[in-house]
Amino acid sequence: MSYQFDFLAVARETPELAAGLARTVELTAVACVAGLLIGIIGAACRAWQIRPFNTLFAVYVEMFRNTPFLVQLFFLFFGLPTIGIEIAPDSAAMLAMVINLGAYAVEIIRSGIEATPKGQIEAAQALALKRWQIFLHVVLRPALLRVWPAMTSQVVIVMLGSAVCAQISTEELSYAASLIQSRNFRAFETYFVTAGLYLALALLLRQTLLRGGGRLLKRGRP
Amino acid sequence: MNDFTLGDILHALLGGLQWTAILSLTAFVLGSCGGLIILALRLAHRPVLVWLAKTFIEVFQGTPLLMQLFIVFFGLSLGGVEIPPWLAAALGLTLYTSAYLAEIWRGCVNAIPNAQWEGSAALALNRYQQMRHVILPQALRMAIAPTVGFLVQVVKGTSVASIIGFVELTKTGGMLANATFEPFLIYGLVAAGYFLLCYPLSLYSRHLERTLHVAR
Amino acid sequence: MHRRTFTLGLLAASLLGSLWGLPAQAERLASIKQAGLIKIAIPADFPPFGSTGPDMKPQGYDIDTAELIGRELKVKVELVPVSSANRIAYLTTGKADLLISSLGKNPEREKVINFSVAYAPFFNGVFGPKDLTLDKPEGLAGKTVGVTRGSIEDLELSKVIPVSANLKRFEDNNATIAAYLAGQVQVVATGNVVATTINAQSKRPRRLEQKFLIKNSPCFVGVNKDDPQLLEQVNQIINKARKDGELNRISLKWLKTPLASSLL
Repeated sequence: MSYQFDFLAVARETPELAAGLARTVELTAVACVAGLLIGIIGAACRAWQIRPFNTLFAVYVEMFRNTPFLVQLFFLFFGLPTIGIEIAPDSAAMLAMVINLGAYAVEIIRSGIEATPKGQIEAAQALALKRWQIFLHVVLRPALLRVWPAMTSQVVIVMLGSAVCAQISTEELSYAASLIQSRNFRAFETYFVTAGLYLALALLLRQTLLRGGGRLLKRGRP
Repeated sequence: MNDFTLGDILHALLGGLQWTAILSLTAFVLGSCGGLIILALRLAHRPVLVWLAKTFIEVFQGTPLLMQLFIVFFGLSLGGVEIPPWLAAALGLTLYTSAYLAEIWRGCVNAIPNAQWEGSAALALNRYQQMRHVILPQALRMAIAPTVGFLVQVVKGTSVASIIGFVELTKTGGMLANATFEPFLIYGLVAAGYFLLCYPLSLYSRHLERTLHVAR
Repeated sequence: MHRRTFTLGLLAASLLGSLWGLPAQAERLASIKQAGLIKIAIPADFPPFGSTGPDMKPQGYDIDTAELIGRELKVKVELVPVSSANRIAYLTTGKADLLISSLGKNPEREKVINFSVAYAPFFNGVFGPKDLTLDKPEGLAGKTVGVTRGSIEDLELSKVIPVSANLKRFEDNNATIAAYLAGQVQVVATGNVVATTINAQSKRPRRLEQKFLIKNSPCFVGVNKDDPQLLEQVNQIINKARKDGELNRISLKWLKTPLASSLL
């Protein structure tokens, strides 16, 4: 009896896969927006050494960039509640993704901000622009534009990393895959199809972010 | 059954840490070899080879490491090749590492100014000689910092191997958390273990980046 | 030239054939005996059937049963720890010769693998905190329920659970129990003996009180469809162990009660 591939057994579970895919997209979208916000605030604090936040952000960045996402997830989900810090089970995965992407975003955006030519700020000051105007238009926007490709790669990496969220019962794409394979016992076919879906999502996400983000950042530029 | 002392816990976690380090090193060394091969294909002057390398990189950078490990683990055994979790983990992580390193290194090769190619071509060096004597030595220097930086990603990536049953640091932590009912302590220690491995590498990578940039 | 291509093609085809069309080991029993080694998949996260001891080695009812079978076959036993969700894949893909991981029987599984005679009693049910009143599946409406993916509890509960209940599935039993103890789910579905063992071990205030039973689902040894000889041998060993008190000894050690009369 040689092994007979049966991809139809996976095709039958399309609704499960679609639901998982939708949840993965949702998680990624929230992580992307919130992570970007954390990144901007953190990068500003780090770049201009605003105390004590610059140190706090530095510790945060190092802690989360030097430990695996999976362990962060377990710590949030299983660890914190046992010492009385309750985290709603459905938001643990989202929280972990936001915190994780945020840590990378701080460093990425900071490198963009630090590459701002001094002359530009001085010129803006000479034009009597307000501080927030200078930050928004002269520093932040060009900085984001500069690092947008790196930011995009990181969002894709975090999206792919979210596959381990199934370990804490988040019903995303890999959860759907594991559920399906524990029902149809077609582990290989199921994971193969799922990997294909992830690949398609990664390509789509990268294109969308690169095009959309670039357009958004360039729009209405003075 | 529930008589774990802190000593027992630390001893077990150190055992796990050791396997994490071994798996990381294996994946990194083998992945570097794989990365070089992919890089060679990617820089070749044959469209088929370039396409092959591009697809390889695209697939391994575009799918979750977890899926890659599952497919290697369950796929190979369907083909009649029996592999234990540690080998599946090592193989999966090697392929993953190859793809990322090839792409990082290609970036470095591309960053070499065109004049270097033209200059060496004017000296009648063939493509292999150009690579060997002019381009790679310079690219290599640029590649060190991001390569060490990527090693951090490899170490963290090994934690995913716990899901296919390889008993490294994360898996050991999971087993201990359930035997001791102290997940806060255990996962805190596990995170600290990874930090001890990764943080020095991060610092070193940043240090290299600074010094090599200044020297350039 | 053509001939050479043909030969090459033939070679490639036969290579592929040997990889993908590998004939099943018709004589697995013989090859086990010849190698002097049997690979048995056991749980590492399912006390008292299989869990990790302070020496980080597996221990429990299933492990003792695996050793018993190895002893009777006169071969060494290689224990392969598996989780509930992937254990059947371990057997069907040949990563294990036998599956002794508190496996319950159902029609879906019977399509894929064969089952031996029962070697251990098992009741699964829904467990929750003391102050929660709950006595039937309908009471689960609006509650978050933890369950191990691919377990009999998962399959049975999925059929009867109200739609408003939030069934959260975890990769392994460890995670399910840990999620309950951490308060991430309100109730869990698991085995009665599992709950008893956790209650005995855990010093946490959150206990596992039985709310209602789902199913009487004794444990069987899983054997691949194409190994009838091995299945027969395993059945003989278990039947003998039921009679000569070996299983009773294992039951007393791990379940703290004599072997259930249904298995005698």
